[in-house]
This record gives sequence, C-alpha cells and structure tokens, in this order.
Amino acid sequence: MVKALAFTMEPGLVAELASHTRRLAGEAVLVAPKEAASKAPAGVYTKAYILEAGDPAAFAAALEKVYNEYKPDIVLTIASKNNTTAAALLAAKLRLPMLTEALEPRIEGSTLTAKRRVLGGRAEASYRAQLPAVLSLARGAAEPLQEAGGVEAQPLEAPQPRVTLLESKEKVREAVNLEEAEIVVGVGRGFRSREDLKLAEELAQLLGGVVGASRPIVADYGWLSEDRWIGISGKKIRPKLYIAIGISGAPQHMAAAMDSKIIVAVNKDKNAPIFQYADYGVVADLYQFLPVLIKKLRERLNR
Amino acid sequence: MPLNIAVLAKASLDPNMIRTRGDSLVDIEAMPLALSEYDKNAVEAAVQAKEKHGGKVYVLSVLTWPPAARRVKELEQVMREALAMGADEAHVVVDEALIPGDPLATAEAFAALIRKLGQVDLVVAGEASMDMISSQVAARVAALLDLPFIGFARSLEIGDGRVRAVRDLEDRLETVEAPLPAVVSVTGEANKPRIPTLIQVRRAFRKPINRYSLADLGLEPPAKPELGEIRVLTVSRKNIILEGDNLEEIAEKLIDALIKEGVIKA
Repeated sequence: MVKALAFTMEPGLVAELASHTRRLAGEAVLVAPKEAASKAPAGVYTKAYILEAGDPAAFAAALEKVYNEYKPDIVLTIASKNNTTAAALLAAKLRLPMLTEALEPRIEGSTLTAKRRVLGGRAEASYRAQLPAVLSLARGAAEPLQEAGGVEAQPLEAPQPRVTLLESKEKVREAVNLEEAEIVVGVGRGFRSREDLKLAEELAQLLGGVVGASRPIVADYGWLSEDRWIGISGKKIRPKLYIAIGISGAPQHMAAAMDSKIIVAVNKDKNAPIFQYADYGVVADLYQFLPVLIKKLRERLNR
Repeated sequence: MPLNIAVLAKASLDPNMIRTRGDSLVDIEAMPLALSEYDKNAVEAAVQAKEKHGGKVYVLSVLTWPPAARRVKELEQVMREALAMGADEAHVVVDEALIPGDPLATAEAFAALIRKLGQVDLVVAGEASMDMISSQVAARVAALLDLPFIGFARSLEIGDGRVRAVRDLEDRLETVEAPLPAVVSVTGEANKPRIPTLIQVRRAFRKPINRYSLADLGLEPPAKPELGEIRVLTVSRKNIILEGDNLEEIAEKLIDALIKEGVIKA
C-alpha cells in the first residue's frame, strides 16, 4: 500500500491535492495551513498537520520532520511556485528524485511513472523513478475533491525562517478569468497603442469573451495587467474559441493556448508562425479587418 | 564589499529548434544547445552586482545532453556567451553519469563545484531552464549548501551583507531579505540582459573555462530518475487561410466557419 505525505502552502489547492492523493495512495497525511488542514477529508487522510505558509524553506524543514516520522513512499503537492520550491528543498535534503508539473502519475510496485510538458510546452517527456519520490503535480489535472473534513488536526512548528518577509503586496487584478473563459481574444504586438486595444475589447464583448495578451503587451508595454498574459509563465487557456490578433505565435505563447478547441489568427504577415497553429487564418491588417468583422458580427448576431 | 558570485547557467535544448525523428519523437542529438533564456537574466544580475560592488563572477554549468563528446564544444560556446556578458571564469562539469540531466544529479554537481570554488557570497540562477522547466536546481543547491533561498525574484539588490529581492508569486509580490551567502533565482523581469560588443566577445576567448568530472569533485554517480522518450505534442489544426475579394467577404466566411464549428451562436 502506497503511503503519501501530501502538502500545500496554498490553501486553495487542497481539494485538488486530495483528489490526486486518493487516487495514488492507500494511506496519507496532510500538511497545510489551518483553513485547509481543518477541511482534510477523512476518506483520504488519516491525519492532518497544521502549518502556516510563511517561507518555503521553513515549511520544508517542518515537512522533513513529518517525512522522517511517517516514512511515506511519495510526497505529493500541487505545482504553485511556493509548493514547487518547498518540494525541491525537501527533495534535495532527502536526496529524492522529483518531477515538477507532473502529469498522469502512476505507481506500480515501487516504480513511479509520469509525464511532463517540456521544450516550451511543445513536447511531452516520459519519466520513470523509484520510490520514494516527490511529485509536484500540474495544476488543473484533477477534479477537486469536495468532501467534508473531520480528521484530527495537530499543529506543527516551523523553524525561524532565514529569509525574512518585509512586505507583501497583492497583485493588481482585473475581473477576468482567462483560464476558464470560453472565448478569448488575444492581442499582440500588431496593436500600435493601448487605445487601439478597444477594438479587441469590442470584439470580445460582442462574443461574450475576454481579452488576453501576448508577453510584450503585458511585460514590455504594460498596456494590460499580468492576469491577461497568455504564456507558459502567464496563464494557460483552454477556450472553445481563441482569436489571436496581431500575435506572431511565439512557442511560449502558443504552448499556453494549445488546448483551445478552435484557433483563429489575424495577422498581416502571411509568414507569421501563428498561421501554422491556426484552424482559420486571415491575412489582413487588423486595423482594417477588425472593424469589418465587428460590423458583420453585429448584423449576424443581432447585437 | 567585493562579492564572489556564482551563476548557474544551462546549455539548454533550444525550444525554437525542435527536431524530430519519425513522426513525433524528439531527436535530442540533432537539436542545438543555447544559453537558457532566464539564465541570461541571472548572468546580467551577477554582472550588475559586480559592477556595483566589485568582485568576481563565476559562471558554472553542468552538461546535461548527449552526446558528451560533441556537446563539450557547444557548452564552451554557451560559456563564452556568459563570459562575453561580463563573467570572469567558467567552470563546467562534464560526465557521462550526469547525462541526460536530472535536477537531483545536476544540483549535487553544482553544490560540490561551489564548495570547491571556496568563498561564494551569492549564487544566482534563472527561475527555470527553457528546455525542461523544472524550477528545482537553484532550490536544491541552496538546500545542499544549507543557504537561504529566494526563488522567482523579479528584482534584487545587495548591500550590507544582505540580499533584498521581490519574490514574484502567483497572486502577490513579496519583498524579502536574506543574509549572504544566499541563493536567488531570477525571472525574466529582473533585468534586460546585455548584448555583448564584438570586443567583449573577443575578450571572452581569453577567459578560462575549467572542466571537471564527477571524480574531480569527489562525487559518486547519483541515482536519478530515468528520462524516457520525449515526443512533440501534435495538435492537428485545419490551417485554412480564408480568402475573398474583399474583407467583408472574408469576415462572412469566418463567421460562417465559426457558427459551423459551434463555437459562436447565430
């Protein structure tokens, strides 16, 4: 029977973690901040430890103690930045193999197999490792398990962190949820000014979609906030329809849009790589095409 | 206070130059190696710190892709790039037992190499390599050397024996501080990597590149996970370019297609 030590520094990921843990392990304990540990489902965990998030290194040091007592076959977490960092710190101390953003994990006997997206998300690598091992699982790969809590929760002490927190600032957030949007209109360097993005916004509004952007629009020009950034280091989208406008199609961008059902590209450069990734391509100047498309859509959709 | 800074840099497979064998199997040996994107930010951060405080920048690398015999030259070219940007010396580990690479083995080689270099005040790395995107090596090195670790720094400054950085997490920015020596991984936002001048590129050829095996570092071949095949994810797209006499006609065709696909409703 596989024994798992599951942990998350982000309380919001606890239901997804429970789902993976139930599938992979026969017996498990959870380490998480109070609001998550108190909800640990009894059908999955025999015990929960309460550990406030703080610094990943301090968190990992406390995890190491639980690891040495519990002696699990596998350590499981969901890949947020802090979770992956804590997992890597723990894996190094214990000299364990670790897979980041693992997909399709399977355990047979003492062998773990899993896959990972590599090469800018354009390829998938297969791995095989001997247990014990650490897995930082890719987000969104399992249905969150919503089950009532009720296991014994015991507080855990973390050592004093050597990295001290001076200030924490919430990121600016707009009311968009790119990851769950059914229709996304992506804007890229083909737009000449921030004001011109109105064209894309109008199209998105008409279709009931949201506006996302390629890296330059967010990182270089700062025209849109980071939660609009479609990319490997930004948001990954999976809409029914993705309309990429004035976007050349860099691999880091396309990898994050690959799960779109239908991709439409509008670009005036007929050689732009985006057309290779598109179902429907329009070779035209966006400044001429978008007003026409919007007008025609209004007629056809009666809006 | 002059600083000894070690930069962890990877000769990565270039994701823009994917080569395949058969239909989808990635042909690793046919792909060129290049200095990993965010490692350029790491080199830049180290060189900026040296320019401000004085000291020395060592660029360190572990060869992770086969075939070792041929890749050594490419690894040296990658090191020359970092040296041209302003690093002073390169130290590389080349050993069949480390190929193909794994964060576990690579980090142990880096940690041993840093111990060998002696006094190092700061270790800087990119947030992840552009080929395998594991975000493990920098953290692992910190753990192995028992040093404070700051991951995903979008800015960093050094002063009074401390490093202060802004840690870029999903929903918040944390300003944090740690005493030196410390390990920091930087994001693409940390700085704008310089493009070396021709003179700097030429000068880089006079800078030393030292090579080590695992035995030189006193390390046993580590047990690591087995990397199997890498396959390109193929999503078949229709690749239809819509044409017409005018934009109105093209727009109509596009709307028709999207309605037919069932992704918009008339």
